Amino acid sequence: MTLHHKIRQFFLPSLTTKFLIRICLVALSAYLFFGYLCIPFYIQGISMEPTYRHGGFNFCWRLPYFFSEPKRHEVVAVRFAGSKVMLLKRVVALEDEQVEFRDGKLYVDGKEMDEPYVRFPCNWNLSPRRVEKDCVYVIGDNRSMSIENHHFGQASKSRILGTPLW
Amino acid sequence: MVKIKYLLIGGLIAVIGIVAVFIFSPREEKKVKKPFYLLSEWVSKSSEENAFTMLQKMKNIGTLFDEECVLKVPSQSLSGSYKREEITTYAGSARSYFSQLHLKFYDFSILFLEKEVAKVSLTSRLTGRSTAGEQMDETRELECVLKKIEKKWLFSAIDVVEVLKK
Repeated sequence: MTLHHKIRQFFLPSLTTKFLIRICLVALSAYLFFGYLCIPFYIQGISMEPTYRHGGFNFCWRLPYFFSEPKRHEVVAVRFAGSKVMLLKRVVALEDEQVEFRDGKLYVDGKEMDEPYVRFPCNWNLSPRRVEKDCVYVIGDNRSMSIENHHFGQASKSRILGTPLW
Repeated sequence: MVKIKYLLIGGLIAVIGIVAVFIFSPREEKKVKKPFYLLSEWVSKSSEENAFTMLQKMKNIGTLFDEECVLKVPSQSLSGSYKREEITTYAGSARSYFSQLHLKFYDFSILFLEKEVAKVSLTSRLTGRSTAGEQMDETRELECVLKKIEKKWLFSAIDVVEVLKK
């Protein structure tokens, strides 16, 4: 087979049954992989800056939470509306733990948390509250805005879809 | 050989017929979705909207709701049963804050609880610009209950799902 023929065969393959089956399998695998296991998404908003910047692109990797529960300090994608809108947040407290903010410092069960990922200081105050059963408490890394303008709180574990791939 | 040919043509016509019936028949799901599309049209507002159009749209919005409708909008501190007139007034005052407004609904999931009661889970996206010039882009998951009254599906409950509870 000449090189010219090989190139031609690569870019313009003949539509044999085998080829069509292969194409269908590749399409089906891609649909399942990118639709359910590794969901691509664009980041809109600044609530996770500087860890994740507005306009960034990533994938929501779902596999870890099929077998384990989300852990503290992990960044998770929370299903917000439908199947396409997710919130990217960081888990700061687990079920049955008590969360509060005092002068911008996060306290979990009365202990001040070390949060190296928070780069912008804040002066948030939030009275203590206990995380309900089957929930985790999630907050964004960027707390430079007022507490009223930041989406955070406890989310049901069933809404946690996965973790960003990078 | 001829028989097979006729069978294939017959089969093809049958498939096209089934697809056509499926697409064009006014199924109940389509009827349930109709008030959402009308609400989207009547809530939406352009910067050139005149007083007559505004009054007409407000009047129309009221016709989509049951006499009493249960609203649960945690972000607006709305919770309880509201009369149709109250909802119309509330919608009118909310619209007046905006110079442009667009409401869209996505991801419909319809479940018939009874023959004339439907539960609809969906995503709503409200975009616009306030009269003060601020941009708004809010996406929420909604759970609505609609009842069929005099051959029309009307909203009897709207619940904005609180994904993150502070």
